[in-house]
Amino acid sequence: MRIAAVSGGLCLAWAGLIGSIHLDSRFTLPWTLGAVVPCYFAGLFGWWYAPAHPVARRLLLIGSLLAVSMALRYTAMLLSLGVGWGREDLEAILPPAEDLVVLMASEVIDLAVSILVVRLLALLPDGRYRFPGERALLRSMWALLLLPVVLPPAGVRAGTVGYVVFYYPEAWFPGLGALLLVIRALRARAAGQRDAARLLPAATAGAVLFLARASARLFRTWQGEDGFFYLLGTVLGALPYVVISLCVVYAAFRYRLLGVDIVLRPSVVHGTLWLIINSWYLGMAMTLGLTAGQYLPIGLAVLIAVTATALFQPLRARLNRLAERRVFGRRLSSFELLVQFGTTLEHAYDLRRLAPQLALCLKEGLNLRWVRVRLGGSGLPAALGAVGEQLPGPRGEFPLWYGDEVLGVIEFGPRTDRRFTPEDHDVVETLARQAALAVHNVRLTAELASRVEEVQRQTRELQASRARIVHAQDSERRRIERRLHDGIQQELVALVAKLRLARNRLDRGGDVLAALTEVQDDAYRVIDELREVAHGIHPPVLTDQGLVAAVTSCARRMPVPVTVHSAARLERLRLPLDVEESAFYLVSEALTNVIKHAAANRVTIRLALGAGRLSVEVADDGVGFAAEHTRTTGGLGLTGMRDRTEAVGGTLRITSRPGAGTTVHARLPARVREEAGA
Amino acid sequence: MPDPLRVVIAEDHYLVREGTRRLLEDTGDVQVLAAVGTAGELLDAVARLRPDVVIADIRMPPGHHTEGITAAHAIRAAHPGIGVVMLSQHANEHYAFDLFRRGTDGLAYLLKERIGELDELLRALREVAAGRSVVDPRIVEVLMGSHARTADAPLAALTRRELDVLRHMAQGKTNRSIAESLTLSESTIEKHVNSTFAKLGLAEEPQLHRRVSAVLAYLRHAPAPGPEGPAASGGV
Repeated sequence: MRIAAVSGGLCLAWAGLIGSIHLDSRFTLPWTLGAVVPCYFAGLFGWWYAPAHPVARRLLLIGSLLAVSMALRYTAMLLSLGVGWGREDLEAILPPAEDLVVLMASEVIDLAVSILVVRLLALLPDGRYRFPGERALLRSMWALLLLPVVLPPAGVRAGTVGYVVFYYPEAWFPGLGALLLVIRALRARAAGQRDAARLLPAATAGAVLFLARASARLFRTWQGEDGFFYLLGTVLGALPYVVISLCVVYAAFRYRLLGVDIVLRPSVVHGTLWLIINSWYLGMAMTLGLTAGQYLPIGLAVLIAVTATALFQPLRARLNRLAERRVFGRRLSSFELLVQFGTTLEHAYDLRRLAPQLALCLKEGLNLRWVRVRLGGSGLPAALGAVGEQLPGPRGEFPLWYGDEVLGVIEFGPRTDRRFTPEDHDVVETLARQAALAVHNVRLTAELASRVEEVQRQTRELQASRARIVHAQDSERRRIERRLHDGIQQELVALVAKLRLARNRLDRGGDVLAALTEVQDDAYRVIDELREVAHGIHPPVLTDQGLVAAVTSCARRMPVPVTVHSAARLERLRLPLDVEESAFYLVSEALTNVIKHAAANRVTIRLALGAGRLSVEVADDGVGFAAEHTRTTGGLGLTGMRDRTEAVGGTLRITSRPGAGTTVHARLPARVREEAGA
Repeated sequence: MPDPLRVVIAEDHYLVREGTRRLLEDTGDVQVLAAVGTAGELLDAVARLRPDVVIADIRMPPGHHTEGITAAHAIRAAHPGIGVVMLSQHANEHYAFDLFRRGTDGLAYLLKERIGELDELLRALREVAAGRSVVDPRIVEVLMGSHARTADAPLAALTRRELDVLRHMAQGKTNRSIAESLTLSESTIEKHVNSTFAKLGLAEEPQLHRRVSAVLAYLRHAPAPGPEGPAASGGV
């Protein structure tokens, strides 16, 4: 293979040299640049990176053989011109023996090239036999190589031989190869082999293109082997080789057609594509210019040549750009990069999506080998985004600063195409700043969401507690109403009855003293009862004397010893009424619980004021209870206590263990309303 | 028959006011100079009529809180010779503490229903007119029956015997009758009384005032009741 490559290269150089200098370059250059050079370099490229790959080998072989054939042909032409074999047209008459040998070798090689093209196309993408029949058919084609040897001795005219062994195969075989590829792709699709099946559209397009080109050749025969159309035909004739070369190189890089690993430098691929495209362009332009010069006045010819060159220039530029984009990916200007990322940021509320997007954006925009992005800061889970395989070697790192806070980091590898410039540095820095802002926004959004959730939760809780408070108020009203009607009113009715009784007794002249004493005692009882009801509605001492007085007074009336600890200052000052009432309600409710449930020997009440909050604690040494008990049942009036505490913006904590007593502790917001002098 | 006590009544409730007036005038021992409905009118009447005693409701317009106590303090400050009997619907010791905040002389705290116990009321009127002090038995009862303690109770420093003596003092007993109750000598009681005064920080006060302050200290910080049980009446 190495020999083929070297000899191909040498022959190419030789043929190019003599072809362009000594022969009419109108006939030589288009072919050289249009077909031989692309094939040879594409093959060389493929073979260099995947020496064992059949496609690469075949392509290189095609290129080399084309070069060898061309070198032979041109050498023969040069000899016949220079040494005076005296024949202008090698194919016009029966050649002498030397000529025959040269010609036959050249014909054999050309035929081999055509067969190789068929094999190359028909066995894409991996270059190996897959389906029954392929091997037999393609191998049998080599038999055609006998034709150039067999036909001349059999008396066939040299021109006809040329047509049979060179002209027709060259014209039709690429189309044949493409057709075979279509069949192969169809079979692959049926067999579920996706790699080959994917080639179906390309194969079909190739088959149509190549067969159309071959059909066009039919008309060329009647045009003669000369003139403008001949040259155009030559140029177009190179088309299969150009297309095949381009496709193979491109596919090698893009889809690892040759098993070429992705780490291969894209610049090499790009260079190869560039060479192929520009060779073809040069060939095209020169052919047109030279052809025009032959048939038209020189001024007009130059004009045509310039015009044609100008016309083909956009095509070439477009092909070059296409190659560049395909190889390097979409190149973005710094501005485009910022705009694109900015658009991404507008929808950035999920860091786990943003991180890979940023990584991809940086990698694509700056052609970085790899990028790793970590987003997230205090209070946010880290989101990672990585593109490209992280390799050891030079690396850059940008922390995402927002204020004094690091909200993530961008790490990246070197550029694939060139060095990392200060401009690139600025771009990354700007993106890092934008990303930091985005992370900050995401964090704000998250905080907002959690606050909204909290507010909603509080609202629900508030509604529930409001409902409970209203309910508690209603039932308390009913209780008071019952005590007034069933208790006090009945007592008063009884009192009236007893007074009437006393009057009757007086009318009869009886002794009313005992009756009146009884009435007075009853009246005292009604007063006591009334006082108790009124106290239950609202203890007046709380309003008149404040919390500590109300709490100690409440404590004094308890049947168990209650110790009240309170700061001296607290006795002198008054807190907002609702706070005092809530605190008192809490204490009296807690004491009621102690009496009802705790079986305590002593109770300690602590009242303290500090940091704008009133702390109320009622602790007993009673039986206690399991914490789950209250959580599940909400019993013991604890829900009411909690509602009451939270209604004034306070917090309630109840700690209890069976056998270890219960502590009710509340913290209520308290600004001092008034403070007595002493 | 002593001269009738000259009394001014302050009570915002018309029926109670007139009822009280009739009750008192009915006894013949009391001359009601005026019956008014507000604290302001009361102070006017006192300044004008210079009664011996004032009977005032604790709740009066405009605030219906403790206007009576404020008026009582004002009267005592302006006219130390005029006694004040506070009639209160609150059986709550803190109102009594409030009334006695600046000293107990010439002040009485009675529950309103004591109007029905005319003898008690008359006794209180005479006590305060004489510059002494009365606390409603019901209040004493609450304090005696109380289990409550405050953390800085000065009574914690007293011995058991001193507490006994103090408890009897709270029931308005003299040293002699305390001595009889506890079957101790009067000098022993005197010793206990003095050491109690010293421990309560009252050593520098005048004799009578000290007794009242000691009792109030007791009332405020009363310990668990002794074997004798609650007192029935609290004339000091």
